[in-house]
Amino acid sequence: MGMNLGIDFSSLLQWNDFTVDLAAFAVKFAILVGGLLQLPPLLVWIERRVPALMQRRRGPNRVGIFKWRLYGLLQSLADTVKLIFKEEVVPDGAHKVFYHLAPVFCVFPAFLVACAIPYGPDLAIYGYKIPLSVVRMDVGFLFIFAISSLAVYGVALAGWASNNKYSLMGSLRASAQMISYEIPLGMSLIPIVLIYGTLDLGKIVEAQNSFFQWGVFTAPVSLLIFVICMFAETNRAPFDLAEAEGELVAGFHTEYNSAKFAAFFLGEYVSMFVLSCLASTVFFGGWQVPFVSYDALVTMLGSPNFVAPIGILMLLLKAAFFMWVYIWVRWTLPRFRYDQLMFLGWKFMLPIGLANVVVTAIVLAVLRFK
Amino acid sequence: MEALYFVPEMLFYVISGLILLSSIMVVAARNPVTSAIFLVVDLFFVAALYAQLDAHFTAAIQVLVYAGAIVVLFVFVIMILNLKPDALRGIRFSLGEALVLLITLAGFVIVGSELARTAPDLTTPGNLGSAAIEMAGGNTYVVAMRMFTAFLWPFEMASVLILLAIVACVMIAKKDKRVTKS
Amino acid sequence: MNPYIPVIVVLIFGVVLGGILSGLAAFLGPKKYSREKMDPYECGVPKVTAGSEKMSVKFYLTAILFILFDIETVFLYLWARTFKELGWLGIIEIAVFVLILVVGYIYVVRRGALEWD
Repeated sequence: MGMNLGIDFSSLLQWNDFTVDLAAFAVKFAILVGGLLQLPPLLVWIERRVPALMQRRRGPNRVGIFKWRLYGLLQSLADTVKLIFKEEVVPDGAHKVFYHLAPVFCVFPAFLVACAIPYGPDLAIYGYKIPLSVVRMDVGFLFIFAISSLAVYGVALAGWASNNKYSLMGSLRASAQMISYEIPLGMSLIPIVLIYGTLDLGKIVEAQNSFFQWGVFTAPVSLLIFVICMFAETNRAPFDLAEAEGELVAGFHTEYNSAKFAAFFLGEYVSMFVLSCLASTVFFGGWQVPFVSYDALVTMLGSPNFVAPIGILMLLLKAAFFMWVYIWVRWTLPRFRYDQLMFLGWKFMLPIGLANVVVTAIVLAVLRFK
Repeated sequence: MEALYFVPEMLFYVISGLILLSSIMVVAARNPVTSAIFLVVDLFFVAALYAQLDAHFTAAIQVLVYAGAIVVLFVFVIMILNLKPDALRGIRFSLGEALVLLITLAGFVIVGSELARTAPDLTTPGNLGSAAIEMAGGNTYVVAMRMFTAFLWPFEMASVLILLAIVACVMIAKKDKRVTKS
Repeated sequence: MNPYIPVIVVLIFGVVLGGILSGLAAFLGPKKYSREKMDPYECGVPKVTAGSEKMSVKFYLTAILFILFDIETVFLYLWARTFKELGWLGIIEIAVFVLILVVGYIYVVRRGALEWD
């Protein structure tokens, strides 16, 4: 092949664009993964404590260390330990490879999408600009949809590989539900692209500089559609027929126990977080502080590096709001029947999404193409 | 990035090798679901190839539509029909099939070498170079502008094709009520 | 830095994390074989029906319609990106496209292909 393998390693040992980006990526990724892995125990605790309070009972409050009960927070820790050390029963006839592979398909799309979200404004360190998203693509939205459409395989494979016809049925229905709601999800973000003119998430956040330019004011119908489809995509809240207790047992993850079950739930909670972050980024201004523009913050605090933590905090607060909505809705609304669910997705959400695009386009054209 | 300048060329060979490997596995796997998953992996690597050519939009669409929708359809069909590996055989060639395979491979070699001999010089970036695309506003922008101006008719024809596909598949999958009532 | 380097690293990490979590219990848990545990779970009763029946064809329809409307969404994204530059002409172009597909959608709905899934 005649390639000259003379590698110049000295340029890897100094701070230049490449090495700074690489180091920044490593740090950002480590922090992000650390944070995401803390999420499921916390969310499980909230998910058990909050409905308890809603239903006027106590929820878990027994597990404790040396009299510190912490309102049941340690219950999550105990549950995690239990799940990991439980016996893993692989059913007879389960596919040797895909039974073990299916949870992986549920985990990695969530982590990959979590990396595409801008968590804060750019840092400026010694002249290098460091964006606060682990992965920065200029086809931002499409990348996110492409990766989240791979999550369907986790659900489909899990049911099929379990050699249990109820699991198979459950996973077929769950997969059909997920793909049915992916279209309105995609369509609800088209008005956002129309309004802000870019697919890049970082630029969309930067474009929401003033409070009334937030997506919630410019594209409210999109927000509605997005939130509803958000619930359907993660198989949660009123759309959790495929994994509800009492329906098809536990649906596609009936035959999964201990750590693999934990893997599915890791994937589900991280997806929840990621979609919440996405909703906050697109509709609620991401890391922008309401009523205070980015430039005002920079002049107030002196340097962009001080604005970044505030930005991250704002985004996390907004995402926390959406996750609160997730849990609130789950314990408030009754479950949809499957045919109602599919009716909603295809015959209600899709036309409304399309009409939303049309109306937004016409309004924008009238306003801008004078 | 000066230090690792040989990586793009090596990367192309690595990705192509992986694509070939997964394609062979798609055909050689005994279990249809294994085939489907290898197809997903294959299409993922093709998307990687697009990304290496700086066609980021096409790479994203490849994963979104091809790996994320079309192969999902395949998997659905396999799950619905519940195809078992016993119903399909693995790679075992009869003499005739081996002969056909050899002739096909020979054909590939002949056509490939002819193409390589007369290939245009694609190493100098013209107005399709990645720097030019960045200046013009990014991948999606360039593709969109070209499609809605120069390639408008193919775009509209694509919508007619999609309509055809919708009608055809509904006709196949749903029996006509009038036929069954009599 | 090439934006795909983080993508590959995160991908590998996600797969490894899933794999570790998946394989953890096989290492850490006890392994007590018992006949009943190995049967497919059917609400506690012993396995009643053999194998599985064929599923409904509606799932196939759903998947195909998903592909087609997904493609439509992709085209809409392309148009949305260059909305400003294309002006009213672009709106007319995409309106033709969407209209043809709306005809298809109405056909599907009237034919009842999306009923009762």
